[in-house]
Amino acid sequence: MSVDLRVNLGSLSLKNPVMPASGCFGFGREYSEYYSLSALGAVVVKATTLHPRLGNPTPRVSEVTSGMLNAIGLANPGLENVLSEELPWLARQDVPIIVNVAGDTMDDYCEVVDRICQSGLAHAIELNVSCPNVQLGGLAFGVEAAVLRNLVEAVRTVCTLPLFVKLSPNVTRIQDLAIAAASGGADGLSLINTLIGMKIDLNTRRPVLANRTGGLSGRAIKPVAVRMVHDVAKEVRLPIIGMGGIYTGHDAAEFVMAGAWAVEVGTANFTDPYACPRIIEELRSFMEAEGIKNIEEIRGCAL
Amino acid sequence: MLVQGNRRLTSDIWVLDLVGEFPYDKVTPGQFVHVLIGDGTAHPLRRPISIASCDPVGKTLSLVYRVVGDGTKWMRERRPGETIDVLGPLGHGFPAPQRPGPVLIVGGGVGVPPLYQLAKVLHAQNVELDIVLGFKDHGDVFWADEFGKLGHVTICTEDGSVGRPGFVTEALGDDRDWATLYSCGPRSMLKALKTHFQGTDIQGYVSLEERMACGIGACWGCTCENADQSEARRICKDGPVFSWEEIQL
Repeated sequence: MSVDLRVNLGSLSLKNPVMPASGCFGFGREYSEYYSLSALGAVVVKATTLHPRLGNPTPRVSEVTSGMLNAIGLANPGLENVLSEELPWLARQDVPIIVNVAGDTMDDYCEVVDRICQSGLAHAIELNVSCPNVQLGGLAFGVEAAVLRNLVEAVRTVCTLPLFVKLSPNVTRIQDLAIAAASGGADGLSLINTLIGMKIDLNTRRPVLANRTGGLSGRAIKPVAVRMVHDVAKEVRLPIIGMGGIYTGHDAAEFVMAGAWAVEVGTANFTDPYACPRIIEELRSFMEAEGIKNIEEIRGCAL
Repeated sequence: MLVQGNRRLTSDIWVLDLVGEFPYDKVTPGQFVHVLIGDGTAHPLRRPISIASCDPVGKTLSLVYRVVGDGTKWMRERRPGETIDVLGPLGHGFPAPQRPGPVLIVGGGVGVPPLYQLAKVLHAQNVELDIVLGFKDHGDVFWADEFGKLGHVTICTEDGSVGRPGFVTEALGDDRDWATLYSCGPRSMLKALKTHFQGTDIQGYVSLEERMACGIGACWGCTCENADQSEARRICKDGPVFSWEEIQL
């Protein structure tokens, strides 16, 4: 039986529903030494800000049981470099590009989104309002529904590409933020970003991360992520990109059953640099074994 | 790769010998491999371990590691015949000397291993080597004899129980005109070396250590700052070896 992995997220057409998550894949160059990026549904690049950012002091990553904490702090080379060096290279790799955008102010977000849309180098925008590791911006826009709606409305006026809003799990009711993003004009939602966590070194009696707290990702958060995708899918009729601890094709299928249209893979890339192409093949095998011709057949079936 | 041996060198430092297919011809001294712990389920982050020795003919790779946490405890339990998933070689190692002249190699503690492969390569090229190795005490010392076959070795211990007492910088006389310095060890030692050689024209290369996630330059987890602190450098990809003029130590 032949399986059709294609998926349309609104006007964004992907050959399969699996893409690396922002921050876990740089701008694609490093993983392209391991496999052709054209195998991927899309590449979601590292959060891009108006100006270059060095990020937080090290240590800024730490393993925890079945997961990791990171407090990178949106380190990135800044918009100019991303437009002149990174995106032109990635645009030659025959894969759709989703640019994750972060900012300190509403004006920053709008300027970066505007410039990326005008460059013609990207296929969609993922608005990062959920980074837990920076003082300003990021999460500041992602925890209050009214604030988020205002930001999405403002970005919408300059955004000519499909606009996804990446939601934080560090809120009381994620559905409220999803509704706010939708009413602000989002074309889709990505969820979840990392959960705020901490690890303490018993020898130094201090937090391991220099930033003290960091975002928890990996297998440890998968049940939380599946539940949140489910909860959002029940209330909002927008394409959802689900993520949080996806390591296998079965994990990806579980998110689809919870209501995701596509998935992002983050921490798994660090454990296995071939995680994304492997997950695509595992998903294909699962669908073949289950007699599923098209991913839409199982989308949201658990709702 | 297949585990051939796994031996204790000191109270907490072990050497793991691996055999099998590996891109040996691509290895430069100072590079590392990223070791998968178990099947990666409980331990999603690989552990970066420097290549202590590499033999393309015998197809063996030796990794020296300090047992500090769950991951390296798992490595310590590996027995001959088991297989281990290693990714590599990764990063940029020690460049060849840029100008002729004697070479100084300085290692501290678990920073010593990558310098062994370097010393082997330089010795094979008939480069004159002065090797200074610093350890905490006599129980910490390893591979002094192995290094002794490659150059003139000075051992230093902090408590003076073996070799010269004190830190490695105290063992460096002013009577030698080294062209190149290669070093790996605690950041405090690397800083002290840079200070010691301030004003000389020795070319210094240092290998840095940091907690890593991807190990290939994609996640920006293990960065340091360049010399004027204007840009980040990725220790896993741009390093782990840097010219000491290039970065903030």
